[in-house]
Amino acid sequence: MERVKIRVADISDVERIIELVIRQRRLNEEFDPLLKTSQSLVEAARSYMNEAIKGQRSVLIVAEDAGKIVGVLKADLVDRLFYEPSIEGILRDFYILPEYRRKGLGVRMVNEAIKTLRSLGAGLITAEFPSQHRIAVEFYNKLGFRPLISIYARQAEES
Amino acid sequence: MKYSSLYGGKVEVIPKVPVQSLEDFSIWYTPGVADVSLEISANCDESFRLTNRWNTIAVATNGTRVLGLGDIGPEASLPVMEGKALIFKYLGGVDAFPLPINASDPDKFIEVIKCVEPAFGGINLEDVRSPDCFYILERLTEELKIPVWHDDQLGTASATLAALINALKVVGKDPKEVEIVFFGAGASNIATANLLIRYGFDPGNMILIDSQGTLHPDRPDMDSLMLKNRWKYELAIKTNGRRVVGGLEEAVEGADVLIAASRPGPGVISRDHVSRMADSPIIFALANPVPEILPEEAYDAGAKIVATGRSDYPNQVNNSLIFPSVFRGALDVRATKITPEAMIAASRALAIFAQERGISETYIVPTMQEWEAYSRVAASVASELSSQGAARFPASYDEELERASKIISRARNLLESLISTGIVQRLSG
Repeated sequence: MERVKIRVADISDVERIIELVIRQRRLNEEFDPLLKTSQSLVEAARSYMNEAIKGQRSVLIVAEDAGKIVGVLKADLVDRLFYEPSIEGILRDFYILPEYRRKGLGVRMVNEAIKTLRSLGAGLITAEFPSQHRIAVEFYNKLGFRPLISIYARQAEES
Repeated sequence: MKYSSLYGGKVEVIPKVPVQSLEDFSIWYTPGVADVSLEISANCDESFRLTNRWNTIAVATNGTRVLGLGDIGPEASLPVMEGKALIFKYLGGVDAFPLPINASDPDKFIEVIKCVEPAFGGINLEDVRSPDCFYILERLTEELKIPVWHDDQLGTASATLAALINALKVVGKDPKEVEIVFFGAGASNIATANLLIRYGFDPGNMILIDSQGTLHPDRPDMDSLMLKNRWKYELAIKTNGRRVVGGLEEAVEGADVLIAASRPGPGVISRDHVSRMADSPIIFALANPVPEILPEEAYDAGAKIVATGRSDYPNQVNNSLIFPSVFRGALDVRATKITPEAMIAASRALAIFAQERGISETYIVPTMQEWEAYSRVAASVASELSSQGAARFPASYDEELERASKIISRARNLLESLISTGIVQRLSG
């Protein structure tokens, strides 16, 4: 796994990242019907990534093995109006191809993202993932994260 | 159907101690039995010495995948479990208790088995659907202090390995080099692939195929598999080094061995599939009751060795060659588990037994009539478990060979004498 390089993504990576972003959304779909992916998933993923790469408030890290993108991590910087520390770095999208998992690559990518987010002023790092995603829960627990804010959901029909 | 009602089932419990007068019960039952209970209470393992626990197993199921019939419920599985218990006794001398459990939920099933552990020296799981069966076997193996075996996985895997060792010897190919295609990725083929890897076959040279095609790490449903069938997922990552995408047609190209455990044939595997394989193709078509391709058809298309699950063709790869003797050996040393190494020892013993008699294209595994094979396998399993520290009462190969032969022939003599005295009625036309 040493040969897998971790670096900040650039615009030329976008097309290769999209497939991973789509796979991640389909994985999320496994956890809850309210995460059912939309018809326009592919297009949405493309414009989402283009925007992230051009914007000033996102950090995009990729893992590359012999020219192949095997992992992607996208994080956003957000201001916290009422709390300290005042800038939060949110790990929002994180996907590693199956055969590259459980080899320490995820930890390396998260550490790289945190380093970059800190240099941009983030004093707090959070991570977003489906509540039922137990592998993610374990992963972040191991890295010292704890639950902070919960998002509860129900469909908007009349009760 | 007629016989099941005539005999009212296939197995019963009979005494193994003499009762000459009712007074004898004071030895076998209260008050005599109290001391025995106290002894066991002081040391639970004494239950393996002072009761029939050492020779008693449960043939347990939740009836979620009975034969090829699907989820027909625990009651409907009972005749199958009884049949298995009969084979256990007749071929292995093992007292097997049919135990259908009304729990299709795997966690509930596991809890029930854990609760009945004190009654048994081993658990044989049967006809539990995939992938639940992997999870159940994994947890029970971990949590029980007696051997747990899922025959649809492990019995088939061990028998297949034995047959494959000899088949490759006959065609003169090296296990480390051969390319193997597994058609079907259910309980038996997943277990067989894992056992073959343990034995030393190269996972990169294996391709598994399920209903969606070849398994490989880039398949779009990998994340779904990771959550729902972690056993298949792990093989998808390890195998298929060439990254063959497609189905059987693509996978068999140049393959040396095809192991099919998919759905009843004929015609599931075609002549064309066989002809695409490398020289001297080996075909194991293990679906029952009809193999994926009929042997005559496979030979016609160029197959060198064909094995099936059927007794009316040569090379019958059958769990019955394995499970009675694996339990015989494991029970005799009061094993705490059956290890993969013990399974490999069983496969090797079976393969060597056939080699001594002279293997050929039509004889790669012993037949079920070759009685000596059972005690040889039992002895190999017992000595392997003993050397691994998985036996409460370790035994050497020779000790176990003698004991297993005695126990197995006693079981056969028992039934023969019940028949000859008319207590068990002969089958009438």
